[in-house]
Amino acid sequence: MMDTDKSAILPLVLATVLAALSSAAAGWLAGAIGAALAAPFGVLLGYAIGRHWGAFPSRVRLSLFRVADELAQYRAFTRLMRDQGDRITETTDDAAQIIASGLHEIDAKVASLIERIDTEMPGPDGEVFKHMAVSIGDPIVGMFGKLQFQDVTRQQLAFLARLSHVLDEHMVALAQQMGDRRALDRVGQFKQMFDQALNDCVMSSQRDDHHAASGTDFKEAVGPKVELF
Amino acid sequence: MMPATIFIVDDSATILMSMEAILTKAGFAVSKAASGEEAMSKLQGGLKPSLIITDIHMGAMNGIELIKKVRVMPGFQFIPILVVTTESQQSKRDEARAAKATGWLVKPVQPDDLVRVVKQILPNG
Repeated sequence: MMDTDKSAILPLVLATVLAALSSAAAGWLAGAIGAALAAPFGVLLGYAIGRHWGAFPSRVRLSLFRVADELAQYRAFTRLMRDQGDRITETTDDAAQIIASGLHEIDAKVASLIERIDTEMPGPDGEVFKHMAVSIGDPIVGMFGKLQFQDVTRQQLAFLARLSHVLDEHMVALAQQMGDRRALDRVGQFKQMFDQALNDCVMSSQRDDHHAASGTDFKEAVGPKVELF
Repeated sequence: MMPATIFIVDDSATILMSMEAILTKAGFAVSKAASGEEAMSKLQGGLKPSLIITDIHMGAMNGIELIKKVRVMPGFQFIPILVVTTESQQSKRDEARAAKATGWLVKPVQPDDLVRVVKQILPNG
């Protein structure tokens, strides 16, 4: 009778403790990273722990809770990294547009100056000034070309964000498997994830980095930078 | 003689400004769109450029889809379309070629390369 009571009460006690821990963790996360981000973690933890929580002794369940907690925090970090990426994109976009506007203005003024020199300063002095004005305007086209760095950076950051989503999905899958004895010997398909990441790489530099991370020095053949079909 | 009009389609304001400046200085007229949808709207509204330059990765309608849609519009079957992208994979190039793109440029594009290719495609531009 006593044993039966214990077996009935213990799950309730553990459930209460785990719920409190989930709530505390979500509360801590809310303080650290904001309620909007932390709220899903409580749900995730509750789900991960509650799904099979009766299958293991309490010590194991608490360990599982801690692992789920860690996994949830990784998601917060990847989210922060994506947000930082967005911020970098926004800031560089603003800066690049201001620089481009400035270059447009300089270019227009240099053109106007050259025109006035032509009409108002005939002779050797005018030629000297014209030469100087032309040399001021010469680098402008190259600078416009260099501004494309911002778009390249934007796309590199977008690629990093896609990778972090792949990691997030894997973390959730791992958390959901916790407590499932059958899952202990199959913790995920890192190779598939890694191969998928390679498929998502669009720039040759990214693909080279990926091969280097795989431990190979392989460099893929890439086509010419300019190609007419 | 009127300068040839080049229609640039890219969701990056920086790229639009950069290419517009380079091509304008080279003597071309430039029209711009910030998305595939805006590009289609301008083309359906009567814009008839001599050359279209489009990015691949753009919001809802990507560059390949745009090329396919443009190619079935009356009078647009043979208008040259260049793809400008950060991508360098052969499979993507093949996809663009299959969609009937005219050529492929990898970003960042050197201004000299851009003008050279455009002049190659539009020798009378």
